[in-house]
Amino acid sequence: MTVTTAIGIVLAAAALSAQSPAPATPHTADGKVDLNGIWGVAPLPPAAKPSQSVRWLLPLKGVNPEGNDVFKGLDRVQVNARAAASNKPEYKPELLAKVKELSDKQGVLDPAFYCKPQGVPRMGPPTQIVQTPGQVLFLYSASNLFRIIPTDGRPHRADADPSYMGDSIGRFEGDTLVVDVVNFNDDTWLGSDGYFHTEKMHVVERLTRKGDVLTYSATIDDPEVLAKPWTTTPRDLKLSTNPSDALLEAPPCVEHDAPHIVTLDHH
Amino acid sequence: MKRTLFAAFAALALGGASLSAHHSFAAEFDINKPITLQGTVTKVEWVNPHVYVYLDVKDANGKVTPWSLSSLSPGAARRAGVTRANFGQGQTVTVLAYHSKDGSNFGFMRRMTFADGHTVELWLGDDEAKK
Repeated sequence: MTVTTAIGIVLAAAALSAQSPAPATPHTADGKVDLNGIWGVAPLPPAAKPSQSVRWLLPLKGVNPEGNDVFKGLDRVQVNARAAASNKPEYKPELLAKVKELSDKQGVLDPAFYCKPQGVPRMGPPTQIVQTPGQVLFLYSASNLFRIIPTDGRPHRADADPSYMGDSIGRFEGDTLVVDVVNFNDDTWLGSDGYFHTEKMHVVERLTRKGDVLTYSATIDDPEVLAKPWTTTPRDLKLSTNPSDALLEAPPCVEHDAPHIVTLDHH
Repeated sequence: MKRTLFAAFAALALGGASLSAHHSFAAEFDINKPITLQGTVTKVEWVNPHVYVYLDVKDANGKVTPWSLSSLSPGAARRAGVTRANFGQGQTVTVLAYHSKDGSNFGFMRRMTFADGHTVELWLGDDEAKK
């Protein structure tokens, strides 16, 4: 066999692999797209033995781990990454100064720093979805939180207090679950950069399954503060099939740091 | 034989949602004040947003001073292969840490060295940047 032939076979195999049909999108007995599963969970490495040496660096591109820029480097890398992002919420011009002030004082003002829920939409997509006829459950492993989302056509409830995750109702549009969320409190931010909102916030989340990939995005409107609705950049979450990806109880959040914060450095 | 575990870093998308929000280390700790502490690990508090290790440090006169040490998040530690069992509960260890800016007996733990010489280091940076 010549080298050329061998390469040809490899290329043909690669092309065949690329053309093989994507996994079908499954549906439940009642005909809805089947969202059941653990989504977007990275497999964990094996646990080190108690006598095993471990050296691990939280990756900060360009920051020398032996230099004296490590702590500020962490803040700078994250702040710069967000500053460079093209997709951000757009606030009314008269509120830009407030957003900047909150952002500058994020290190002490961000509600999520005091163990409060990040809330919808900052908490992002669920890590596991449990779907039954008439309702969908979102489970969040990082925070041990859950949401119960009726899909039986009922309206938003009118008897609940405003909350961190709001009141959700869902409906299916083709292979997309659309979740409409209202009745938020104002004790969450949309992101780290001082992105506050009011209790008038309205969020619409869209979860679309194609094969073994779930795509999540949220559209946030708050006519009190935003110049126009903001849609988050869609995130693709892969279905977990490894039994070891089963969700574990997250360690609780216990705030010890606030008394030791000396400067307004933040990330 | 000692082995060093190098773990792939997968899940912590910088600026991403879903992980516990945590405070800036720069707001709390002085990178220019490294300290070495020898003591007994009295407690490992496996909590978000940062793991805490409590150390009883004994001086030459036998006086014991309790220190608390912050580390990375439990999720980041686990993605490095490190569990609570790797943080030396009940053992005498030597810790390299960075002192808190408020001067209290509090620091950010970089590396723990055990009596048998093995080490656990959870730190930040990019080895490529040393060149």
